[in-house]
Amino acid sequence: MLKDITIGQYFPGKSFMHRLDPRMKLLLTVLYVVSLFLVPDFWGFLVIGAVIALVVASSGVSLKVVFRGLKPLMFIIIFTAFFNILYGGGEPLFPNISWLAWIKTEGVRNALFMIIRIILLIMGTSYLTYTTSPVMLTDAMERIFRPLKVLHFPVHELAMMMTIALRFIPTLIDETDKIINAQKARGADFETGNIIRRAKALIPILIPLLISAFRRAEELADAMECRCYQGGEGRTRYKVYSFSWRDWAALGIMLLAMATIILFMIF
Amino acid sequence: MIKTEHLSHAYGVGTPFETAAIEDVNIHIEKGDYVGIIGHTGSGKSTLISHFNAILKPTSGRILIDGRDLWDADKKTRIQTRFDVGLVFQYPEYQLFEETVYKDIAFGPKNMGLSAAEIEKRVEKAIHFVGLKPSVLEKSPFDLSGGQKRRVAIAGVMALQPKVLILDEPAAGLDPRGRDEILSRIRDYHKETKSTVLLVSHSMEDISRNANSILVMNKGRCAMHASVPEVFEHADELVQMGLDVPKITRVFISLQEKGYPVSRNVYTVEQGKAELMRLLQKGGDQNA
Repeated sequence: MLKDITIGQYFPGKSFMHRLDPRMKLLLTVLYVVSLFLVPDFWGFLVIGAVIALVVASSGVSLKVVFRGLKPLMFIIIFTAFFNILYGGGEPLFPNISWLAWIKTEGVRNALFMIIRIILLIMGTSYLTYTTSPVMLTDAMERIFRPLKVLHFPVHELAMMMTIALRFIPTLIDETDKIINAQKARGADFETGNIIRRAKALIPILIPLLISAFRRAEELADAMECRCYQGGEGRTRYKVYSFSWRDWAALGIMLLAMATIILFMIF
Repeated sequence: MIKTEHLSHAYGVGTPFETAAIEDVNIHIEKGDYVGIIGHTGSGKSTLISHFNAILKPTSGRILIDGRDLWDADKKTRIQTRFDVGLVFQYPEYQLFEETVYKDIAFGPKNMGLSAAEIEKRVEKAIHFVGLKPSVLEKSPFDLSGGQKRRVAIAGVMALQPKVLILDEPAAGLDPRGRDEILSRIRDYHKETKSTVLLVSHSMEDISRNANSILVMNKGRCAMHASVPEVFEHADELVQMGLDVPKITRVFISLQEKGYPVSRNVYTVEQGKAELMRLLQKGGDQNA
């Protein structure tokens, strides 16, 4: 049941998108989001739509997956649309129906605009995580933020912490499932009773989970020390990233799209 | 006692990761039997046993406990089934959480809503079954050794006094002495309480020494379900499934193939010893 969570999921593959340098993908995502917020009218979305169509086509991850990921965000999307309609101006959309007078053309236009913007935003960022493994992503962040080291910002340590945290999410979910089942087998009941009873019912899950998290942390620390981990100083990499023609081509397309949108803004 | 009809279970239904864990399993487990469940890793053993106490819901098919359909009944009956069918998962020591061993073993009986006196009786009985001294009852379960923790966790399920006790590799990761100790405790429990026991194990030796019948799982299906001699007769098929027969059986099969007049149906060292003695006796008689 806990395994159904798909936010930030990674789908292994060898597509064009998968083979892009993670640093470039991160940069492209930033450019994509900036362009999305620069879009002045509906025509601009066509450009962004073309970009995302290219991304979908070259990623090997079907659109269905994205739409499944949108489901839990439906509430936010509807909420946003509702308030845009409520505060929009213009002429009433249904002049003959009195109780629908609050729906005005400008409001509906704004609502649609926001919905498209949110969906495109989620799609773009989703494809980043679909095609980039968490380890590569944190690796890329470490590279990009490396200049902050001058200010004594612990870039490597933060990246390592993120990598470890991401790595252990599925493990801990698995473990939680197991513990829940084991306590259920002894007749534990998590579903009935008032809030206090239910909170108390969580103790048999949380304590074993905490203990096992500490045990894993200790084992991991030992394993890292056994392999002479001493922090980021002087650490070399197994995977050395380098930009290829793919990265420059992708950047070119993104910059072209951005330029077009800026032209839309001016004229 | 436990019966399944076309039982199937798939994980991740409706996602690209959908996989069938068990398919069309039809078995019948008799009351009072000691069943060994063997199968290669990923053959569906754990998925199968998680159905018997309603932890997992079948994708299709039925499970009947004492003739009653488990998923036809209301939720209360289903919870009651968890007390009738006690399930000890792999590495059960990771589920301990209470301050004292006593409280942890009492967790199950408390959930059953028993009186304090009855709970005390059950805890004492359970601790006796797993062979721990009553003095550990006041200790913290986290101060015990690995083998002791394992026994406390098993006692926690035995205290439910289930009609069926299912254990998923209860001896995994223990030293040989701990293994033998735990398995002989379970054997005693089976004899004394006349309950049905299901033991999942990778060790053919453990199965042949303890079980009366064997259930072989292969690729999500029940490949065989018969008495110990009947199953181990199919040594070649078992090897094909990535399983084996007990080492002592292999010795006697090789002996027979080398031309010695011994039986192939030897599954424990004791039986092997008797068979060799019989052979020597016969040889002696011939010489005389």
